[in-house]
Amino acid sequence: MSVKSATMLKTTYREAVREAIRDAMRRDDRVFLMGEDVGKYGGCYAVSLGLLEEFGPERIRDTPLSEAAFVGAGIGAALGGMRPIVEVMTVNFSLLALDQIVNTAATILHMSGGQFNVPLVIRMATGAGRQLAAQHSHSLEGWYAHIPGIKVLAPATLEDARGMLWAAIEDPDPVLIFEHAMLYGQEGELAEDVAAVDIDKAVIRRAGSDVSLITYGGTFYKTMQAAAELAKDGIEAEVIDLRSLRPLDNGTILDSVRRTHRAVIIDEGWRSGSLAAEVSARITEGAFYELDAPVARVCSAEVPMPYAKHLEEAAIPQLPGIVAAAREVLGTHV
Amino acid sequence: MASLNMVQTIARTLDEEMTRDERVVIMGEDVGKRGGVFLATENLFDKYGPDRVIDSPLSEAAIIGAAVGMAVHGLRPVAEIQFADYVYPGFDQLVSQAAKLRYRSGAQFSAPMVVRMPTGGGVKGGHHHSQNPETHFVHTPGLKVVYPSTPYDSKGLLKTAIRDEDPVVFMEPKRLYRAFKEEVPEEDYTIPLGEAVIRREGSDLVMISYGGTMTETLKAADALKEQGISAEVIDLRSLLPWDEQRVLESVARKGRVVLISEAPRTANFISEVAATISEEILDTLEAPPMRVTGFDTPYPYAQDREYLPGVNRILKAVQQVIDY
Repeated sequence: MSVKSATMLKTTYREAVREAIRDAMRRDDRVFLMGEDVGKYGGCYAVSLGLLEEFGPERIRDTPLSEAAFVGAGIGAALGGMRPIVEVMTVNFSLLALDQIVNTAATILHMSGGQFNVPLVIRMATGAGRQLAAQHSHSLEGWYAHIPGIKVLAPATLEDARGMLWAAIEDPDPVLIFEHAMLYGQEGELAEDVAAVDIDKAVIRRAGSDVSLITYGGTFYKTMQAAAELAKDGIEAEVIDLRSLRPLDNGTILDSVRRTHRAVIIDEGWRSGSLAAEVSARITEGAFYELDAPVARVCSAEVPMPYAKHLEEAAIPQLPGIVAAAREVLGTHV
Repeated sequence: MASLNMVQTIARTLDEEMTRDERVVIMGEDVGKRGGVFLATENLFDKYGPDRVIDSPLSEAAIIGAAVGMAVHGLRPVAEIQFADYVYPGFDQLVSQAAKLRYRSGAQFSAPMVVRMPTGGGVKGGHHHSQNPETHFVHTPGLKVVYPSTPYDSKGLLKTAIRDEDPVVFMEPKRLYRAFKEEVPEEDYTIPLGEAVIRREGSDLVMISYGGTMTETLKAADALKEQGISAEVIDLRSLLPWDEQRVLESVARKGRVVLISEAPRTANFISEVAATISEEILDTLEAPPMRVTGFDTPYPYAQDREYLPGVNRILKAVQQVIDY
C-alpha cells in the first residue's frame, strides 16, 4: 500500500471494512451493499453500522433470509451493470448459496463464451472463536479455493481490510472476501489516505531465514506471535501472509522455502482436503531438493466446531501448536 | 455370477438391499416411474411401490433434508442426486445437518443415509453435468465418501454404505456406467470403507487414482509395461477415510508416485494424498509426488475429453518422476 501522508488514524478492522465500503459507495454510484441485517441493524458484526443513514435503503439493502436469493440477485445486478457487494452473514450460511456461486457466478463468463463478466463481490465472516458452534464457526475458504472462476481473498491486516475491497470491486470477475470473525476487533493505525492494495500477491510480514510459516486470515496474528516466540530462542521464522487464496502466489511461497528449506502451513480449515494440503503439495513439487524437512501442517481438528469454550480452543490452531510444529521441522533433517 | 456393467450392478444392489431390509427407501428426481435418468433404479418402482421408491420434486435441499429426517426416524434412505453438479442446492442439508447430527446431538441421533450421485466428465455434459465435487465432501468431518471404479466394487461398497450408521456420499463415475462388464457374484458381500485395492502389482513406481480416471490409469500402466516399466496401480475406492497405510507402504517401497484425479487441480482431494505422502515419508521419495488432474477452469463442453487426465498426460508425469 502506498502511504502518501503521515497522518495516521487509530482504527479497527471492523471500521476499516466499513470505511472501504463507504469509500467504494462514494466513488462509484453502481456500488451497493446487500445482505441480511446490513441496513437497520448495521450488520451482524456491526460492519455496516451507519451506512443506511448515509446512503439510504436503495443502496444499503436489507434482504430476506435467503442466501440463494440475494447472492443470485447480486449476480443479476452485476450482469446488469451494477457493482454489488453482497454480505453473507457467515461462511456456513453461504452453503445455501453454493449453487449460485459455483454453478452461476463462477461459470457465466465461461459459458457465455466470454460475453458476460460477473463483477460481484461477496463478503463473509468466517472462523471460530466466539462459541457459535458447529453451524457458524467453520473456515471453508479452502473449499472456495477449489472453484475455478472465482477469486478468494483473506485480508488479515487492517490495511488489507481497508484496501482489498476496491481492488475486488474493480475486478471484472466474482471475488469472495473472507473476514475472520475474531479479527473485527483488531486495533491498529491506518494512513488517512490509504490506497487500494493488490489482490494477487502474498506478502512476507516478517523476514526470517530458518523456517517459513505460511498462513492467512484468522491464524495470521497467532503465527506472528509464534514467530516472536521462536525468536526468543534465536530462531528466525519468516511469516508469509497468503492474502489471496485463489490464485495462490506460488512465486513468493517457493522463493521463501528455497531460502529457509523448511515450511509450516497454518490453516484454520479442517486438515483433510485443506488449502494447506494444496500449498504443501505445491512446495514439495516445486522445491523438492531444497526441502530439509517435510512440510508440516497445523490445521483444525476434524470435528464439527464444538460449542464449549475449552473444546473450541482445542479444536483450532493455537500458539503452542504452531511453535511446536516449527520446532519439529527445525529438528528434522532428510 | 452374472456379467454386469456398473449401472446394472447398482440397480441390482439396491434391489437386494430393499429386499433384505424394509427400512431401505429410495428417493430422488425421476427415480420411480422413469427408473432414474441413468436407469440405476430401473424396475424398483414396480416392485416396491411408491412408498419405498419416491419420485421427488426438483429440490435437492428437500431430497437430502427429507432423507435426514427419514434416517433419524429409523429408515435407511438412499437419496439420488441426478447429477453431482446438482448437489449444491442441497449442500447445506448434507454438510450442516447430516454430517453434524451425531455430533451436535451428543450422539443421541445419527443419520444413516446414502446420497448417490453420478459424477464426473467425459459424457459431453458441459459444466453443469460433469463436475467432481468430492473434495468438498472430503473436507467435511462427519461424512464418508466413496467413489468406486468397477461393477464388483460398486456392489460391495454400496451395501456397506447402506448398512453404515452415518451418512455416506456415494459417487458413481457416470462415464463408466456402461463402459465395461465384469462378473459380479449373486451372493451378498460387502467391502469395507477406507480400504484401497491394488489393481496392478509393480515395482518401479506407484500410480494412485479412483473413480473414472482408473481406466486411463490402467491403460497408462499397460503402456508402461510395454516399455519395460513396472507400475503398481492403487484404486483408493474410499476417499474419506482413505487408505493412508496402504498408500504409504507402497510409496515408501517404490519412492516414486503419480496421483491422478479429474477434479480441478487447486485444492483437489488428491493434494491431500500428496501432502500426506510428503509429510510422512519424504525421506523415502526419489521424486516429488506428481499430480495429474483436471484443469483450473470450469468443465468445458467442447474439450470434454481433453480436460480429463488422459494416458498421455499420465505417462508424461510418470516420465517426470522417473527422470527426476
